[in-house]
Amino acid sequence: MALLELDGLTKRYGGLVAVNQVSMRVETGEVRAVIGPNGAGKTSLFHLITGVVRATEGEVRFDGRKLTGLSSYQICQAGLSRTFQLTSLFPEMTARENARLSAQARLALRWQPYGGAAVFAEAARRGDEALERLGLTDVANRPAGLLSHGDQRLLEVAMALAQRPRILLLDEPTQGLSVEETLSAVETLSGLLADGQLTVLLVEHDMEVVFRLAQKITVLHRGTVIADDVPEVVKADADVQAAYLGGYE
Amino acid sequence: MTGWRLFFLAAIVLAAAPFGLPIFAMTLLTEALILGLLAMSLDLMVGYTRLISFGHAAAYGLGAYASGYLLLHTALPLPVAVLAAALLAGVVAIGVAWVCTMATGVSFSMLTLAFAQLLYAVAFKWTSVTGASDGLAGIPRHPGPFGITVFQTKNGYYYLVLVCLLGAYVFCRALVSSPFGAVLRGIRENEAKTLSLGYNTRLYKIAVVALSFALGGLAGALYSPFAGFANTELLFWLFSGQVLIMVIVGGQGTLIGPILGAAFFMLLEHVLSAYTESWALFFGLIFIGFVMFAPQGIWGLLTSRRPKNARI
Amino acid sequence: MDLLPFLLTQCLNALSQAALLFFLGVGLTLIFGIMRIVNFAHGTFYMLGAFLGYSAVRLTGSFWAGLVIGPLIGGAIGAAFEMGLLRRLYRRDESAFLMVTFGLTLVLGEIIRLLWGVNALQVELPNMFAGIVFLFDEPFPTYRLFLAGAGVVVAIAIWQFLERTRLGLLIRATSQNAEMVHALGVDVNLVRTAIFGIGCGLAALGGVLAAPLVTASLGMAGNAIIDAFVIVIIGGMGSFLGSLLAAVLVAFVQVFGNYYFPDFALAAMYMLMLLVLVIRPGGLLGKEA
Repeated sequence: MALLELDGLTKRYGGLVAVNQVSMRVETGEVRAVIGPNGAGKTSLFHLITGVVRATEGEVRFDGRKLTGLSSYQICQAGLSRTFQLTSLFPEMTARENARLSAQARLALRWQPYGGAAVFAEAARRGDEALERLGLTDVANRPAGLLSHGDQRLLEVAMALAQRPRILLLDEPTQGLSVEETLSAVETLSGLLADGQLTVLLVEHDMEVVFRLAQKITVLHRGTVIADDVPEVVKADADVQAAYLGGYE
Repeated sequence: MTGWRLFFLAAIVLAAAPFGLPIFAMTLLTEALILGLLAMSLDLMVGYTRLISFGHAAAYGLGAYASGYLLLHTALPLPVAVLAAALLAGVVAIGVAWVCTMATGVSFSMLTLAFAQLLYAVAFKWTSVTGASDGLAGIPRHPGPFGITVFQTKNGYYYLVLVCLLGAYVFCRALVSSPFGAVLRGIRENEAKTLSLGYNTRLYKIAVVALSFALGGLAGALYSPFAGFANTELLFWLFSGQVLIMVIVGGQGTLIGPILGAAFFMLLEHVLSAYTESWALFFGLIFIGFVMFAPQGIWGLLTSRRPKNARI
Repeated sequence: MDLLPFLLTQCLNALSQAALLFFLGVGLTLIFGIMRIVNFAHGTFYMLGAFLGYSAVRLTGSFWAGLVIGPLIGGAIGAAFEMGLLRRLYRRDESAFLMVTFGLTLVLGEIIRLLWGVNALQVELPNMFAGIVFLFDEPFPTYRLFLAGAGVVVAIAIWQFLERTRLGLLIRATSQNAEMVHALGVDVNLVRTAIFGIGCGLAALGGVLAAPLVTASLGMAGNAIIDAFVIVIIGGMGSFLGSLLAAVLVAFVQVFGNYYFPDFALAAMYMLMLLVLVIRPGGLLGKEA
């Protein structure tokens, strides 16, 4: 059984179909990218999976459990941690506090108002570990709002990682970065994925990034899946060429 | 650690106050501490969670009427009646918060205001419990089965208020420094992100409103036996605004600031009302000045920290 | 008393009430829709209008003079306040506006008290509206009929203003994308000042019109601000049509509630608001929660 299964997922806004009958399976340990031109429905798909918007039709199952209809915090608690296309952080907290607050969400004692020292210690340990894996230890004590844009993008990944998710959902991790920043971010991310321990679903429109990181690629075009295979096959696919690579932006 | 050293210093100075101050000053100080407790309770919502409540008079009024009613109609000893009233305010707040947190931002503020107005209207109509426009008068301070009469004296009551305030301060400080408090800060800075990290933010907001109301209710419950009466003034919407002024002018998100803000407010009212009837005019101007030019408030200016809600 | 004439007069009564609520709510919702700020002082401008109406009638002897002077002075004060203070706050979060306008509430309320005193002031109706008319043999105050008519006229006027005029177009454009309008070379600040002034002027107009019914008093502001917020929350923040719809709904609930359940009339308005919030958290015609 696949870890994450999408089954006929559809979202309509009035007459507009943002996501159309998308079915997909992500196996444990897989790094999967969803690509497509702007407006292809990638971010809508993410919002459907994480419960930010409700599906019109179809179902999301995670480890056999139905997620459709749960609210976004419950879906996160089920083991899916995500980042946002537009960086979303706690700007006045330090990077370390950001990661700590994120990790704290997965600790059993998070509701307890007192005796929090142990919770903080464990959350900070997990947070620091995640910061280190993304090379952010040096800037850990700076307010997140004052970090460079590249570091902010990575901090968001670190926050998701600090939750020790069963699947990591990354929404365009290199969005808005300069060429150099993108290169260094991809370097960091591929190092993170090298050991094959993480299951990742990645939305991206930068093809370089995708071919560098993903083992399997799903291509979305106007809300519909037009290809779903390993990178080499997708690259050669005529439909993809026509829909995407040829007319790229 | 300097924070706690300051706390103990302040506690000792306040505990010594009855030995140095004349009676009328002690009355003012007692009231200032009660208002300080109220403002500090609002700070949990405004300063730590960015839930701007325009209805905190509801907490105060609930507590004041409840303790007044209990003392008038039962023989419960004073501290028990006061605690029961605070508890009642907290329980009512759970329902209020459940409704108000359906909305966010400005709509939340408006709903808190609407709720306080509803309570204000109820206080006018429910004559058998609230005494309508006459309010409750002649509220006694029962000694209870153990014959504790110390709270019937001015200084005895002052110490009761002081202990409640210090206790509430320690409680709030521990709360905002706890993992629970960290989540509140998360909601303040970025609620959508906090939700996506797996926190049920609405539940956290309901919890903080309930705690805030319970402490605000405690302040009200202490006020009515102190003044001897409870009336609809305590529920008036302008009073809710005044409490918010105390929080902002004192320094939101600091707990100490709002207490100073309340004292500043009392002092200013006392001084200004000796010269002019229109002290509300000056309050308005001072308040506008603080919001515009010193959003960090008095305590923020004193400790010269970075403005909390200034976005540059 | 027959049911049909009774219902008819009650409906007209509710419509006249709806007109007052609409004047109150529409200014607040226009300001919110365009500027994303909530004007806490809105009820105070309403109260100011009532007192200005009183003075205008006293000085000129004409109720119509009040209908002109009230909105003009209210609007001018609102515009000046926006230029002097609010403009400096656009980079701050929304709570700053709420608090500064609350400060204005205190200041303006106190100035009104100093100028007009603490007593409620009765505003004389012009002779043509002072009497009653008979509708289906039921007596009905002429002035309430006039109010209902005025509500319809003003609603159409605002609608046409937003749809047809250049300023109206700019206002709608600014509400959708302020930066784009700015890039097109329009002074967004001026649009904001204008809309804040217009919103406050509308509140003052409502105050002038309400004064003959309820007298001009210092208690007006508090009730008015709550009513205005309820209208805006029910109708949906920033929605012109929503405020119209909400004003009518609330007025009907108030009038019929007052008749059938006099003890719960006030609660009825809040129950309506609660119901709307549960079903549509963003308000009936609102876009966002």
